[in-house]
Amino acid sequence: MKISKKIITNLKSGGVDFFLSVPCKLLANMITILENDKDIYYSTIPREEEGMGICAGAYLGNKLPCIMMQNTGIGNSVNSIVSLLQLYQMPVVFLISYRGTPGEPVGAQGGMASVTEDILKTLRIPMLNCNNEEDLDKISTFTNHAKVIESPVAVMLNFNLMNND
Amino acid sequence: MNRFELLNLLQETIQQEFVVCNIGLPSQELYKINDRSNYFYMLGSMGLASSIGLGLSLTINKNVISIDGDGSVLMNMNTFATIGNRAPANYTLLIIDNGSYGSTGDQKTFTNERTSLKDIAAGSGCENVIECSGEETNINLKKALADKDNSYVIISKINSGNVPIKPIPLNAVTIRDRFRKKIGLVSYL
Repeated sequence: MKISKKIITNLKSGGVDFFLSVPCKLLANMITILENDKDIYYSTIPREEEGMGICAGAYLGNKLPCIMMQNTGIGNSVNSIVSLLQLYQMPVVFLISYRGTPGEPVGAQGGMASVTEDILKTLRIPMLNCNNEEDLDKISTFTNHAKVIESPVAVMLNFNLMNND
Repeated sequence: MNRFELLNLLQETIQQEFVVCNIGLPSQELYKINDRSNYFYMLGSMGLASSIGLGLSLTINKNVISIDGDGSVLMNMNTFATIGNRAPANYTLLIIDNGSYGSTGDQKTFTNERTSLKDIAAGSGCENVIECSGEETNINLKKALADKDNSYVIISKINSGNVPIKPIPLNAVTIRDRFRKKIGLVSYL
């Protein structure tokens, strides 16, 4: 819970005030925190691509949105990232539980894990890889950077970091 | 009635409102009929008109209308569940259901066969779901906008058919910034 609290605190201090999630067990503690946080908007959503649209609308209304999802959600969302968020230059924070990284017990997660960073590189989305607690201190500045460059950014939470929370 | 005629008919009702308009011919027709800075034209991301409008409606205290199509909303059907559970009272989804993918050459959609968007919306938890003719659409939309306690899904059943039209000459960031200026968020334009 300590790590989840720190992530949410740092996202909020970086300006995030609108959260959506497609769940992951590694995100579960953060979802519990957000469900009880009256200062921000939070909702579950059924699918990541739809969430990109909701985030775009929330940005138009002056929010800094964050969509929480597994890395598989990037695969579900490529066109909406390129032809909506990037085309209109909309800052959105992707908070990604990076399934398939070391510690992962489910072998089948390895496939999307092996292509996730290549996809994000191809999309030219800045990435912050978080492997330990110290890395989380960079989240606030990185989040604010999304606003400055008017672009989506990706915060990657590796399996062992979150599994130990 | 086709989409161009319907969009013409709706202008008196929507021209002061925040509108998110579906990609392709719907946006191009709307631009040609009555270009407004409070109209957000989608240039990509087919399927997400309802979602963009929903996100906006959750963050401003003004009416927001998403103008979607049957083909587009069929691409993003989970949107009905999110709207059914989360749409605030200032949100209206207007689906122009002409039974065809107009922008790609009027290929038929499943709403021509067994699929009912009205039943999908109701089954997803949406209240105030109205299916009506093109002629009845304006009065139902006015009712939805005047009701400050409820969100609405209006499915306007019209004929397929398009008018000759050109792409919108505005770039995306221009559309974004003039729309946000109208909300009161951009001061440099």
